[in-house]
Amino acid sequence: MLIKEGAVEKLKRVSPSQVLTYLILTLGAIVVVYPFFFMVNNSVKTGREILHSSWSLPSKITFTGYTGVFEELDVLLLFKNSLILAVSITLLNALLSALAGYAFAKIPFPGRGRIFGFMLLTMMIPGVLFLIPTYVLIYNIGWVGRYEALIIPSAVSVFNIFLVRQFMVGIPDELVEAARIDGAGEIRIFLRIILPLARPALATVAILTFMGSWNDFFGPLLYLNRPDRWTLQLGLLQFRGTVPGENSEQIWALTTLITLPIVVVYFFIQEQFVKAFANVSLSK
Amino acid sequence: MTSLSAAHDTPLAAPGRASLWFRVRRGAWGYVFVSPWVLLYLVFGLYPLALSFYLTFFDYSFVNPENRAFVGIGNWVQGITDPLYWRGIWNIVLNQAVFITLKNGIGLITAALLFRITWGARFFRTIYFLPVITSTVVLMTIGDNIASPGGPVQRWMIDAGILDQPVFWKTYDTLPMIVIALINTWKWFGISTVILLAGMYGIDPRLYEAAAVDGARGWDMFRRITLPMLRPQLFFLLVVDVINGLQMFTEVFSIGFSIYGGVNNQALTPVLYLYAQAFDRANVGYASTLGLLLAFLIAGLTALQFRFIRSDAD
Repeated sequence: MLIKEGAVEKLKRVSPSQVLTYLILTLGAIVVVYPFFFMVNNSVKTGREILHSSWSLPSKITFTGYTGVFEELDVLLLFKNSLILAVSITLLNALLSALAGYAFAKIPFPGRGRIFGFMLLTMMIPGVLFLIPTYVLIYNIGWVGRYEALIIPSAVSVFNIFLVRQFMVGIPDELVEAARIDGAGEIRIFLRIILPLARPALATVAILTFMGSWNDFFGPLLYLNRPDRWTLQLGLLQFRGTVPGENSEQIWALTTLITLPIVVVYFFIQEQFVKAFANVSLSK
Repeated sequence: MTSLSAAHDTPLAAPGRASLWFRVRRGAWGYVFVSPWVLLYLVFGLYPLALSFYLTFFDYSFVNPENRAFVGIGNWVQGITDPLYWRGIWNIVLNQAVFITLKNGIGLITAALLFRITWGARFFRTIYFLPVITSTVVLMTIGDNIASPGGPVQRWMIDAGILDQPVFWKTYDTLPMIVIALINTWKWFGISTVILLAGMYGIDPRLYEAAAVDGARGWDMFRRITLPMLRPQLFFLLVVDVINGLQMFTEVFSIGFSIYGGVNNQALTPVLYLYAQAFDRANVGYASTLGLLLAFLIAGLTALQFRFIRSDAD
């Protein structure tokens, strides 16, 4: 009874301008989703059909794209390489930015303010400046073609430390002080009190770092440009250039395979994704 | 507090020194915890920073680092007068003019619409954000095929009578950067939507109530209240867009242009060009100079924005 009344109330409130609003928003959603549809749709067509009409629905659904791409390309190796990089960079960043963030937020040590200020200053330097000199350095160390080239320099980012530190400043000092009076050491405080409380900030760090590494193209192009080290993004680009037109469904199968895992995870924890990327709270 | 207890601890030493030593010892774990970052930053931050300046004075190649030749400010003179470098800058300016306007304009419109509705805002937001989390290489592969002469968009435009015949836009002088801006708009407008929507939720509703009492209507409220209150968010978006836009590489490369941005450099960007100089022509010192030039340009533009837009907003 109550529910019904509420529903009627809602229906009554819908004005023509609201209908128009929903219409525009739906149109926008269709435009946003269409390219994804285009990709999946073409992944189950034949290359010949894609050449003639890439827009039409499949006359007959085939999975030759998926079987073909696995024959032509070591797709699992691409996934493995991308995962090795993304997982190790993410774990290192979560750990090291939590440690540094905790120190900057809760352990007073002489020079802290100055080091933190200097850190903020370096955040302003555009990344392009480091491109060539870092390559020279990595080349001289002998890391070109090795995972270390991408993992070690990205093991911790100033932005992530800043993010965690800002969050940890909000944790009450009394919690930490009380533990110190009880005789707990800094490592114990860090593991038992700080880490559990800082989980939201660390989730943001993890999502941003993982996605940044997973979607990175420039880094692998510079340092891992050999077939046994290709990541998904680099493998896709290299593969694209070798596929003849009549097999182009393989490209769409590969792009679908690359996109699917991320989209699935995104739909489960989209609130955290949006928060992380936009760095805003979305409570209405 | 700290200096007092420190004086108690070591009464014989000079107070200032004792307290510093005590504070250093008490905060020792602080140094331990920040040391991984400090070490990494020294090696992969400060050293490359210094190296980038050093390299600009040399003719240097990866393969024969011993054979470097000192060229003074030669690289700088060459960079400032290099027509290809400025072609890249011009391309990016064109690209970003279209991109920043559309991305933030569409973001503002969708945010305003989502702010009005009572049901389903979360659903639309989730959809609009989907391209943001998808990889650039995948999206450019799709965008390239959708916009291609045989693709669905051009077919639709021909059917609708907007085009007479297929357009091979990649060979045009200005079209490539505009098409890339359109695809990038599609990828990134969701960020603007979300940030501006959060900003709108943060505006005090009493402002609107007061304006309504004064007889203000929808559009007036948007122009007089919403837009001015969103200045911090719009400013933030603009600054970040300019910084990222000037460093564009992956988009152009993964939509299928060569590292010189096509035969007429119609899609050349500064980063593409410095990549070509370093890895195709082995002019490492020159490439490093181009990177520094771009960094200075970005820093200058950011400072200008803070100077002229931010001070306006405060």
